[in-house]
Amino acid sequence: MLGYLVHRVLIMIPTLLAISFIVFVIIQLPPGDYLTTYIDELRSQGEQVSLDRIEFLRKEYGFDKPWWEQYAIWLVGMLQGDFGFSFEYSLPVKDIVGERLWLTFIVSFATIAFTWVVSFPIGVYSATHQYSWGDYGLTFLGFLGLATPNFLLALVLLYFAQVEFGISVGGLMDEQYIEQPWSWAKTLSVLEHLWIPVIVIGTSGTAAMIRRLRANLLDELRKQYVITGRAKGLPPFRLLIKYPLRMSLNPFIADIGSLLPQVISGAAIVSIVLSLPTTGPMLITALKSQDMYLAGSFLMFVATLTVIGVFLSDIALAALDPRIRLGGGIRR
Amino acid sequence: MTRRLLSIAAAAAFLAAPLPCRALDGLMEVPFFMEAVRAQRLPSVERRVPDEPAIAAFGRPGQRIGRQGGDLRILMASPRETRMLVVYGYARLVGYDYTFDIVPDILEAVDVVEDRIFTLRLRRGHKWSDGHPFTTADFRFWWEDVANNKELSPAGVPRELMVDGEPPQVTFIDAATMRFAWKRPNPYFLPSLAAPSPLYIYEPAHYLKQFHKRYADPAALKKLVERAGRRNWAALFNRVDNAYRNDNPDLPTLDPWVLKTRPPANRFVFERNPYYHRIDAWGQQLPYLDQVIMNIADAKIIPLKTGSGETDLQARYLRFDNYTFLKQGEKRNAYKLHLWRTAYGAHVVLYPNLNHKDPAWRELFRDVRFRRALSLAINRHEINQVVFFGLALEGNNTVLPDSPMHRPEYRAAWAKFDLKQANALLDSMGLSRRDSRGVRLLPDGRPLEIVVETAGESTEQTDVLELIGDGWLKAGIKLYSRPSQREVFRNRIFAGETQMAVWTGIENGLPTPDTPPDEFVPTSQQQLQWPKWGQHHETGGRSGEPVDMAAPRELARLREAWLRATARIERARVWRRILEIHAEEVFTIGLIGAVPQPVVADARLRNIPDQGVYNWDPGAHFGIYRPDQFWLDKLVQEAAR
Repeated sequence: MLGYLVHRVLIMIPTLLAISFIVFVIIQLPPGDYLTTYIDELRSQGEQVSLDRIEFLRKEYGFDKPWWEQYAIWLVGMLQGDFGFSFEYSLPVKDIVGERLWLTFIVSFATIAFTWVVSFPIGVYSATHQYSWGDYGLTFLGFLGLATPNFLLALVLLYFAQVEFGISVGGLMDEQYIEQPWSWAKTLSVLEHLWIPVIVIGTSGTAAMIRRLRANLLDELRKQYVITGRAKGLPPFRLLIKYPLRMSLNPFIADIGSLLPQVISGAAIVSIVLSLPTTGPMLITALKSQDMYLAGSFLMFVATLTVIGVFLSDIALAALDPRIRLGGGIRR
Repeated sequence: MTRRLLSIAAAAAFLAAPLPCRALDGLMEVPFFMEAVRAQRLPSVERRVPDEPAIAAFGRPGQRIGRQGGDLRILMASPRETRMLVVYGYARLVGYDYTFDIVPDILEAVDVVEDRIFTLRLRRGHKWSDGHPFTTADFRFWWEDVANNKELSPAGVPRELMVDGEPPQVTFIDAATMRFAWKRPNPYFLPSLAAPSPLYIYEPAHYLKQFHKRYADPAALKKLVERAGRRNWAALFNRVDNAYRNDNPDLPTLDPWVLKTRPPANRFVFERNPYYHRIDAWGQQLPYLDQVIMNIADAKIIPLKTGSGETDLQARYLRFDNYTFLKQGEKRNAYKLHLWRTAYGAHVVLYPNLNHKDPAWRELFRDVRFRRALSLAINRHEINQVVFFGLALEGNNTVLPDSPMHRPEYRAAWAKFDLKQANALLDSMGLSRRDSRGVRLLPDGRPLEIVVETAGESTEQTDVLELIGDGWLKAGIKLYSRPSQREVFRNRIFAGETQMAVWTGIENGLPTPDTPPDEFVPTSQQQLQWPKWGQHHETGGRSGEPVDMAAPRELARLREAWLRATARIERARVWRRILEIHAEEVFTIGLIGAVPQPVVADARLRNIPDQGVYNWDPGAHFGIYRPDQFWLDKLVQEAAR
């Protein structure tokens, strides 16, 4: 087990290096750089920038250097905890994220909790009452939730709130609390606004989780140990909780790997539609404007979390389910 | 010959004769600052405004003196757009008034001799937003330590100040007077000071000296540079000193509203400048509005948020096709939807690439008969009806009817839908052979297929191209439209790979004879009909190609004549000639112009014109209508409740 852990940790290093390279190359792939997108944005609104100023900025931002040199500077900086400089904000990257990160955590954890709380009982009910009306009804709802893109749901909600009630449902807090220090009133305001994004972001995840739990549980329910337990006279509920349900929990644990990065990057498009002050929209604008150090550092952060998340969920799975073997394939 | 621009303040003071020489006796303290003044954290209003403040004119019809107080919410798409408050605030040394004349604003007066000697006079007692005096020392600091500092301005003195490669002679006469003198006229000087993104020829020296190598203590400066994580002091100086970008709350300013929120943020608060230099005739210090609050939202949902009343003044990011949606919400959310005119010479324009790298196509595009035929084969009326509800103006890419230079024939020349004449012109060029589709063939046998490239951002453009395609096919020309991406779009044009492009027309359709005619002459790579000639001019001949066509060369010659002209009538004559050439030569094929811009304003907001011109330069969007004079009518609000 220990050897396995060390092996896994060591393999993370080349993985992350490879990711950093790919991230950098992909950000650099579109034609032009931050300055050209910036100039274009100015021009589209009628503003002009002088050529001298552009030349000056190009030098100051280091765009006159070859790309591999820019990559090396970024990589070395990152190892020392310096994530570079955001052109868009004219600030070091590490100073920008700030409150957004906390709000993203709040939204994401609330969403995860919502997903689990809703999907768990429904999944169990669907599996134990297979092909009943309740199962069909919930399955239908689940498929609806799965098939509707989150951002569309957000748009529909926004539109109806606007047309029917004339209110806007966007944002995460009342306007007067934005950019204010945290207080009791601000927390309450956040809680009041939280439920809409949580439901919007959570629906498809909930639906997917219900389906997976139902399928897994159905597999387990047919197994012989369940029949044995029932034959021996275990109360049905206790039997369900004690054995098959525990076996069917694997998807929840395997999900941790993908949960961690999701917690950070959030549901970017939904956040844009609902104008949530989370990190997702920031990542998207950074990518769009080719603000390469901000976008790159962000993606690296997400990648690191994914790698760690997968690692953690693998360990947890191995610890919880003795049937899972370490090391890929059995060597003969 | 001496031209004197009297300040509005002085003019108003003359008209309202009983006012004593100092209009200050009747000044009223600003309620917003009452407490601070009482607590002696702020001097009283008499000691805050300049000795001779600018007295705001209320000359536009419907304009009334207002009341101080209230907040204004606006929406922007990026935290970088804090600069829009500099644009909207529009405090300039000299600025355009709403009739597009340049008048002194921060300056008390400007004396202009022969368009080459400019004597600027400041208002005595004018102060920065931190209360420090604003004097010629701030100009001297900029001139000697910034503009002429090799590290801060590697490109040297700004281009607008160079005449025939020579900088001005700058003399500082006393604390309030200075002179900029050139050997030859510099018609760019005042317009660049009045621009929405102005040329700053002054800087808050008292604040910036701590960042300047010449004045700062080296050890302290080094520490500052390190703490900010910049490469050297020049980079740091550029970071803190950017009055236009307006993202440093510590930088003193002369604008009506001062940034109070330190970026990064999603909500920026701008507070009224206690030392602002303008007052109204009742002695109230402007601006009327206490605060401007800028919320950041994605550009795509700004129309939606506007429709639900989340902004009190919005035009940026609203488009004409949002009109019906915005109109729906007008009653419920108590806002008023105005339609302003835009100043683009045309909203949609085709640019045949006269620098195309294939000689056959290049020759074709350079043949005036061909360009005229293309223009004649377009049914502009149909485009107007189908895409713009008939609300736009059909015709060429030229000056608008509001410009003093306008003549109907400039817009109408070769712009009437006439397939017969178009076909006749094409036949006369020897393009009479056609293939089975009825598409004409070039002399070398290739079909006459024109690919029109778009930046791929608006479906409006592709809709218009679809309509043009029908007309062109009847003239034997096949049109293909090809959406691309803006970056690729421009680079292909610059390289001469694009046959034809579609984009907006000239930026300033409202020129006066004193406006430089640069947009009509090959001067910039961004002129999509002749990018290489423009580049040649822009880089002083280092790259691009020299103009090798008669009519554009004539245009360049005319621009020279305009630069040399000393009399306004002479400049007007040159302008007319330039516009005539454009109308006759059809270098760009303008389709539709004056597409209205929706402007949404809170129903209580006063002094905002119902019919305005929405333009960048001149105009500064709302700037020339002086948002510091906008105010919120609370009576209406109370009545509504």
